[in-house]
Amino acid sequence: MMTEPSGDQFVLIKPIDATKLAKALAGFSVEIAPEVAAKPFVLLDCHDQSLRASGRVLIETNGVLQLWQNKRKPLSQRGKGLGLFVQNLPHGPVQVALKGFPELRALIQIGAGKIAVKSLVVLDELQKTQVRGTIWFMTSSTGQAAIVRIQKLRGYERAYQKVCDAISDLPSGALGTEAFFAGLFPGMFTYQAKPEIRLGQTEPSIEVAADIIQTYLKVARQNEDGVIADIDTEFLHDYRVSLRKIRSVVSLFKGVFSQTQTAELKRVFSELMAPTGRMRDLDVYLLDKDMYFNLVPSKLHAGLHEMFDRFQKERMQEMSRLSRRLRGDAYDTSMSELIALFSETTRLEAGPNADRGASEYACALIWKRYRKVCRTARSITDDTPDETVHDLRIDCKKLRYLMEFFGPLFDAKSFRTIIRPLKKLQDNLGLFNDYSVQQEALLAFVSQQSNAQGRVDAQVGLAVGGLIAVLDQRQKAERSRVISSFQQFDRLETRHLFRSLFHQKEE
Amino acid sequence: MKIIACYSNKGGVGKTATSVNLAYAYAQAGQQVLLCDLDPQGAAGFYFRVKPSKKLTDARFFEDVQRFVKAIRASDFEGLDVLPANLSFRDFDVFLSRMRNKRSRLKKALVAAGSDYDVIILDCPPNFSTLSENIFKVADEIVVPVIPTTLSERTFDQLVSFFDEHKLRKKKLRAFFSMVQKRKVLHQETMKSMRKLYPKRFLQTTVPFASDIEKMGQHRAPVSTYAGRSTACAAYRTLFDELEDGVVKTQ
Repeated sequence: MMTEPSGDQFVLIKPIDATKLAKALAGFSVEIAPEVAAKPFVLLDCHDQSLRASGRVLIETNGVLQLWQNKRKPLSQRGKGLGLFVQNLPHGPVQVALKGFPELRALIQIGAGKIAVKSLVVLDELQKTQVRGTIWFMTSSTGQAAIVRIQKLRGYERAYQKVCDAISDLPSGALGTEAFFAGLFPGMFTYQAKPEIRLGQTEPSIEVAADIIQTYLKVARQNEDGVIADIDTEFLHDYRVSLRKIRSVVSLFKGVFSQTQTAELKRVFSELMAPTGRMRDLDVYLLDKDMYFNLVPSKLHAGLHEMFDRFQKERMQEMSRLSRRLRGDAYDTSMSELIALFSETTRLEAGPNADRGASEYACALIWKRYRKVCRTARSITDDTPDETVHDLRIDCKKLRYLMEFFGPLFDAKSFRTIIRPLKKLQDNLGLFNDYSVQQEALLAFVSQQSNAQGRVDAQVGLAVGGLIAVLDQRQKAERSRVISSFQQFDRLETRHLFRSLFHQKEE
Repeated sequence: MKIIACYSNKGGVGKTATSVNLAYAYAQAGQQVLLCDLDPQGAAGFYFRVKPSKKLTDARFFEDVQRFVKAIRASDFEGLDVLPANLSFRDFDVFLSRMRNKRSRLKKALVAAGSDYDVIILDCPPNFSTLSENIFKVADEIVVPVIPTTLSERTFDQLVSFFDEHKLRKKKLRAFFSMVQKRKVLHQETMKSMRKLYPKRFLQTTVPFASDIEKMGQHRAPVSTYAGRSTACAAYRTLFDELEDGVVKTQ
């Protein structure tokens, strides 16, 4: 049996029915050999199913990783993947193919089942094999799917083409990665960090706020288990981003809730976020470990090792504290109550702006914030104190949040046009802020490590001193870029777009 | 690449059965094999359920590389392809030497199609002709099944004389006794006398007269695929061993 290099097709499908296939292939008979013993498999992906989104299926069976993709040759390599980051997989074709997979996301089990390999032959009236193939039948507790390989045999190209055509003529929704998932794991939930929220142009603002808060409370909850299991740092990051969005809605949607409820909600969400702050800081330091080591000469590395060891220890303590909290009944009750509170607006205390239509209210908020950003930014010169730059950063962030919350109400293309330069400005301001916060954190770390006389271990002192010097240089460099980044954002075109989108009234 | 011709100037000696089972044995040993059915009766193709190709009667066929490559059919067995009968053989020796030449268009086309054959087995028509003479020149080994009877003895003598007359290398002749019935005194005596007469021409292996071999026509497959434990199957395996290694491992 000899196959031509191109005569080898792999298709992901819902379970294949031999009799239906045979019907589509007049003059041929289709035989599927009885299965060999099925082996258990584990389906791997990260929490947000990046692999599935890119059309790939990664399974682990008996210590072998197999990567499938519709219409591609499968790849396999020895090794285990569960719980690992892609960059930490043993070297092999699967690992190479997964380059570009998020580095911060670990592989987790998103499904499991059994896999059985069967052979497929298409015979002519002489019982001569004209097309050969293999079917990997996969079953889970809820469904089934298959991967079919069809091989072209020398001299039987027409039969091969017929089989390929018969398979691609299967009813729509039967082919491809999504069909495969729909067959094997029907109704499988896909985590989305930014779910789509539908808003109506005239929807009362209090309902918009409730929708957004409700959605992100659920997103936060979907990350709790991952935080507790400490699978990767993205769980906590997404958890915090969700809560921060909620807090922004509470504080930015002024007058939507009553004053007392606004104050109460601000307190509740700040309290939810507070226990996660230090943990996230430590995660960021540890993720950037290599970067810090590259910032200072190796002579100063001894102190850095010391510092990172302490960060690692502190992280373990924070982790156990946080996970205890998240597993506690009190936390669970308060989250459930919050979800219930925002599931209908009747239990919310309406403020004066509660009934304003979403679109009109959004324009007012965004326009006001935009003008504030411009006012602050235009006032900045090289001599302006850093405080003002920090204020600008916070206003930009608020503007961005408002635009993202109300985004579904506006023209997507215009939105992208104005968000792009805003994002650049924010990146610039963000780095400026990061360098400043890092310096403060390093100073705090040193003072925390110092003895009663204010003296600190010389190695640590040297390393931190070196770092602060570099970070200060970087902060200054970012600072000097702020004026030009704003000018990029403050173009005539952007101004017109802001005006036409959010301020249509003639002045 | 090695070219093995299965040849006999007498019909009905088990020549096609030898081609088919040898081809299968080579493929089983991990070699890429092309079995060329040069016998107009097309029996080798029949045994692999491969239909003869109608298009390949053109005399210019061997000049047309693409058409040749297209005529090859995969058998049902890994590593074994078949070139069905109904060929025109005028330039067959040219074709064979081209298959040896790494730089020829034919060889390149075969390699490109994923078929860099290690072994080519020719199931030859049972006569003396320009074709057979060409095959004798180009083949590395000529496997000749001989039934140990008086008539076969005469035809083998003719073959050896033909080699002498045409100054062909007799070393290539690898005869073996085929369809042997051990209980027949005539068979025993003929084998003895022929081995004495041609001490270097005969392989040690003998293939018995067996119903399992006759059944190939019913099964349309090599013997070992349906009668793996039969003496016939063992005999062909031994024939392969002896041809490949010069020694008899089994039997």
